[in-house]
Amino acid sequence: MLLRIVIDLLIAFGLIFAVAGTKGILKMPDTFCRMQASTCVSTLGVLGVCLGGLLYAIFVMGSASAAVKVALIGALIFFTNPVGSHAIAKGAYQAGIRPEKKMEIDDYGRDFDE
Amino acid sequence: MQKTKLPAVISTFVVCYIFWLLLTWSFAVQELAAGAVVSLAVALFSARFFIHEKAFWLFNPAKLLMALAFWLGTFVVEMVKANVDVARRCFGGCKDVNPGIVKVPVDLKSDYGQAALANAITLTPGTITMDIAEEEGQTYYYIHWIDVTKPSGQEAGDAIKGRLEKGLRRVWE
Amino acid sequence: MSDLMIFAVLFGVLALLNLVRLIKGPTAADRMVAGDAADICICCAMVLFSLYSGRGIYLDIAIIGALLGIIDTMLVAKYMDKGRWLKYAAKDRH
Repeated sequence: MLLRIVIDLLIAFGLIFAVAGTKGILKMPDTFCRMQASTCVSTLGVLGVCLGGLLYAIFVMGSASAAVKVALIGALIFFTNPVGSHAIAKGAYQAGIRPEKKMEIDDYGRDFDE
Repeated sequence: MQKTKLPAVISTFVVCYIFWLLLTWSFAVQELAAGAVVSLAVALFSARFFIHEKAFWLFNPAKLLMALAFWLGTFVVEMVKANVDVARRCFGGCKDVNPGIVKVPVDLKSDYGQAALANAITLTPGTITMDIAEEEGQTYYYIHWIDVTKPSGQEAGDAIKGRLEKGLRRVWE
Repeated sequence: MSDLMIFAVLFGVLALLNLVRLIKGPTAADRMVAGDAADICICCAMVLFSLYSGRGIYLDIAIIGALLGIIDTMLVAKYMDKGRWLKYAAKDRH
């Protein structure tokens, strides 16, 4: 019984951060801030769900292959996400997307714009 | 374009084969043989893009343990702190932001170390590495920061990546 | 037993909310970020539903979903880069 409560708490912990990230994606003022919010979904949201799922697969289902696959899904999302995030931030800046309110410090634009 | 080298092929093959074993999770002889053939083909094709120097670095147990201690210890603490900070901003109406792009000097020398530091910075919410530039032997990162509190340069660097860089230097230098 | 199902439905609702930004977003980068977040939410929902129903096949689908998510993010990023990566690669070769 205690185990089920721990699993539920872990998944709820992940869900809270996923809700925070979704609210950030919907409400943040400019493109780059939305990217920052989406990192919230893919780090602690995924970590909470995968830890809870791992405990469930090991102790409740007792299936090793399901446990390995859940851990693998977590690791894949966790370690491939920064690559895509970096690529899309750089691509957005070089495609000419700028925030509406001008940024206070913008070294990238200072060094690379014509 | 690099030439394919034997150590790079061997270490790529080992990584692919471990992935195959984890995904299939069965130890019949036919499955093992098919996995070996597929892993060898993938390793021959992709080793030259994948590994450029120090091919057997990851098979050194002491370094592996240190890397695990970094990713499970220092990094998780930093990540949870940054997550709570960004989540508070999101729930608090999304008005409390002050974005900007700062330029930060980095002291790590090896390619793997720099890649790991850039990924660790991007994985902590609130900071995204946008580009890497090299000027006069010193490496600089351009980092988008959601709440700029320090001016560009060393101070911003300490605030963003001070503890991460210390942990990574122990692994890679 | 049904608590996992409730969490899976909540993650599905989050993915639908992300679709709002995907439809509304002013630029391609916004759409891609929202699509990526929706993809991750669907992966989480699929993991939870697989554990609830006890069938392993949904886990395989979740792995494929995670891998395809990163690939299409890279594709759109390269499209927005106006092919500058190609130019860098050609410069390295000489």
